[in-house]
Amino acid sequence: MNEIIQAFFQAIELIITLDPSVMEITLRSLIISFSATLIATVIAIPLGFLIQIHEFYGKKMVINLVQTLYALPTVIVGLFVFVFISRAGPFGFLRLLFTPTAMIIAQTILILPIMTGLTISALTGVDPTIRDTIRSLGANTRQYLGLLVREARFAIIAAIMLGFSRAISEVGAAIMIGGNTQTSAFWTSTRVLTTAISLETSMGNIEFSMALGIILLSIALVVNLVMMRVQQR
Amino acid sequence: MEKRSIFLVVVVLVAALLICGCTQSEVAATEPPQTLRIATTTSLYDTGLLDALTPAFEQEHNAVVQIVSAGTGKALEYGQRGDVDILMVHDRARENTFLEEGYGINRRVFAYNYFVIVGPESDPAGIRGLQPEEAFTTLREKGIEGTEGVVFVSRGDDSGTHGKEKAIWQSAGYEYAADVQQSGEYYIEAGSGMGATLVMANEKQAYTLSDIGTYLAYQGDLTIVPVVDEGDILLNIYSVMEINPAMHPGVNTSIAQDWINYMVSDDVQQQIAEFGVESYGRPLFNAAAGKADTLGIPAEECATPLA
Amino acid sequence: MIEIAGISKQFGVKEVLREVNATVQEGEIFAIIGPSGSGKSTLLRIINLLEQPTGGRVLFDGTDIHAAADQSLALRRSMGMVFQKPVVFSTTVFENVAAGLRIRGMSKAAIRERVEAVLEVIGLADRAEQGARTLSGGEMQRVAIARVLVTDPALLLMDEPTANLDPLSTETIEDLIRTINREYGTTLLIATHDLLQGQRLADRMGVMIDGTFAQVGLPHEIFSAPRTRGVARFVGMENIIRGRISACEQGLATVDAGGRQVMAPTPLLVGESVSLCIRPEDVTLFLPGTEAGSARNVFGGTVQAIKALGPFRHVGVECGFSLAALATWKAVEELGLHAGSEVQVAFKASAVHVVRDEER
Repeated sequence: MNEIIQAFFQAIELIITLDPSVMEITLRSLIISFSATLIATVIAIPLGFLIQIHEFYGKKMVINLVQTLYALPTVIVGLFVFVFISRAGPFGFLRLLFTPTAMIIAQTILILPIMTGLTISALTGVDPTIRDTIRSLGANTRQYLGLLVREARFAIIAAIMLGFSRAISEVGAAIMIGGNTQTSAFWTSTRVLTTAISLETSMGNIEFSMALGIILLSIALVVNLVMMRVQQR
Repeated sequence: MEKRSIFLVVVVLVAALLICGCTQSEVAATEPPQTLRIATTTSLYDTGLLDALTPAFEQEHNAVVQIVSAGTGKALEYGQRGDVDILMVHDRARENTFLEEGYGINRRVFAYNYFVIVGPESDPAGIRGLQPEEAFTTLREKGIEGTEGVVFVSRGDDSGTHGKEKAIWQSAGYEYAADVQQSGEYYIEAGSGMGATLVMANEKQAYTLSDIGTYLAYQGDLTIVPVVDEGDILLNIYSVMEINPAMHPGVNTSIAQDWINYMVSDDVQQQIAEFGVESYGRPLFNAAAGKADTLGIPAEECATPLA
Repeated sequence: MIEIAGISKQFGVKEVLREVNATVQEGEIFAIIGPSGSGKSTLLRIINLLEQPTGGRVLFDGTDIHAAADQSLALRRSMGMVFQKPVVFSTTVFENVAAGLRIRGMSKAAIRERVEAVLEVIGLADRAEQGARTLSGGEMQRVAIARVLVTDPALLLMDEPTANLDPLSTETIEDLIRTINREYGTTLLIATHDLLQGQRLADRMGVMIDGTFAQVGLPHEIFSAPRTRGVARFVGMENIIRGRISACEQGLATVDAGGRQVMAPTPLLVGESVSLCIRPEDVTLFLPGTEAGSARNVFGGTVQAIKALGPFRHVGVECGFSLAALATWKAVEELGLHAGSEVQVAFKASAVHVVRDEER
């Protein structure tokens, strides 16, 4: 028990003294997951729109599929991305394996379904009378979509937040695609919060893991608080 | 209100992104560093040897060395797929196959040390001082009998150390898959790197096979001790090789060859021989230079620079 | 202003509107009344270009609105629609009202001026910066009306604007509707299932039954002279008696109904199947054997049931057909009526409104 408390205080020390490796890993984690979320947002929201506002054959099935993929296991994404970007794979010439770029791709794929699905739900949640009202007010297509987004904005923000949470907390794909490498260059390294925690814990470096764990939890907490505030509106 | 806080987060992250991008591009402005990708056995990485050796190389060759730490099996797989430029492994038999199949070239032995069987101080299996094969045989028998405290943690990850363990079982007269794996609750396959396996063995107060280097690097956190450390079969030979550019045209062969020559250079050989003395009181590795006979390998392969 | 010509609409196999014809004059309030599900909303949605008709045309100042695809946005911007469910955008009251103007790309200053003026009209000027979602239903509906009013529509469509509101809010909204019509000269087309609301508001009304206008006319015409059995029932004619014209002389017909001969004025010819509409207040009751006055139709019958109805008594009589009569409680007491009493019913020929039977 003493050992745990000691490790905890050492962890706190690592955080408040802004230990360079802790900070570097944290920053990298944030950048990778933030980029993935950004890309996924750019894809998922228009995609959600397309699926939601169009009537087409098999729409229900598409939505079902998207919702099934909410639970997409991270290691499956890892495997999938690995076989495509490994040198022997179709995109091997890009030399992406073990790069943060590849991790961004993997995380983007991982969170696309949940963000698309939640965008669809967000739009479905907009009262049909609101839609009629917007059209009835004489909105053109662009204005219609703009106002629809405004109506669904809280739910869409929640979708983005959830995507980010999933991205930053996943470990399976990050370790398979990133390889948990640490180099002298910031952007050549692929060690992020989750993979570092996994590695350092297995190597018995508890206080370092704990520091990273506290940071990861804090990020999740901040995201959750923002989300709660948004949803209370 | 929450709009503002989201905005703030976005601004901070974008700023961070820009800062990193800028620092990157500043370096890039002088001359873009080459990236050398190395897949290495965990024992080399976990001891900290590579971390100690890379900065000088990076400076000298304007390179960034990226090390993917995996077991020898996984490292060979990465090599076979062309995902790395260099392999640093320790499993002669599988290396030979790898070379014969044409995936790797220019193998050089740069270091060696010995494996040890570590276990609880109390040695419940009573194997202290035995030959490795005898020790394994005893462990298996007592383990199957269910003798209190007899547990063996295997790497179980197809690594070089795991390969060595299998070789010992074979030498002791057992068929690994049939006679050892799942032969009883005493035999645990960890599926992890050397460091993690040592931590696990320590937690369970079990026996395991480790290279001496990693064991020494972790000794401070461990209560398990070496119980068997003598026997020809325990020799552990580390090689470095590059991935054949004929198989994978994308690999960076020139920097890879620089790395191989760096590893066998007199300076580095010296550093290897001294690595760990300061922290652990004894070296973790032996330099390979001039030890072709001891290691039983061709002289030109032994710490000889590439032509 | 609006000419609805032969509009029909099918959703799948379901026929919602069939051959709807009507004309709405500029500046009038036209009420579409009819029971729920009769197709009122669909008609308004077609006029507002939210739905395409399956057949027929809607002419807006002579333009076929569904044919002019390039003008549809401009056409829609010249009308406004208020929906049954009070909905507001999740922004402030001000922004809600401004939405239509922003869509039309109006300048900020002009928007401010107009929105403030309209908020004054709907009485929410002091709540401009409040979140619209925090308003009550009635207030939300006022915002919804302001939202279209501010765009100065030539035609205002309202789909059951008070159906979800309490009586007080309903009154406020009705006042607002009258004000809009009077002050701005806006043409209004209001769908309502509330007959009395239609009567209170409308210059003219159309009774929609089963997807078509059964009758279009002035409110008093519709109340006094329903043209079909369905309209008669909808406007509250309690006694609707089936019969057949057996004789006809100078506009006065003899109608066979339940074995009785009922005299009634009608231009219809002998042999026609008709329904006779008689208001209960036009039926008087006498005891058997007493003088029944000058009424042309006097029949003997049996009292079935007597129900209290405010200061009146509602008396159901079986006299070959079922007939309801309305009498003061005093009259009922004096006659000593109770269920099973023998009684005479009397009503004038002119109290009978004859409708040709169009239903099977």
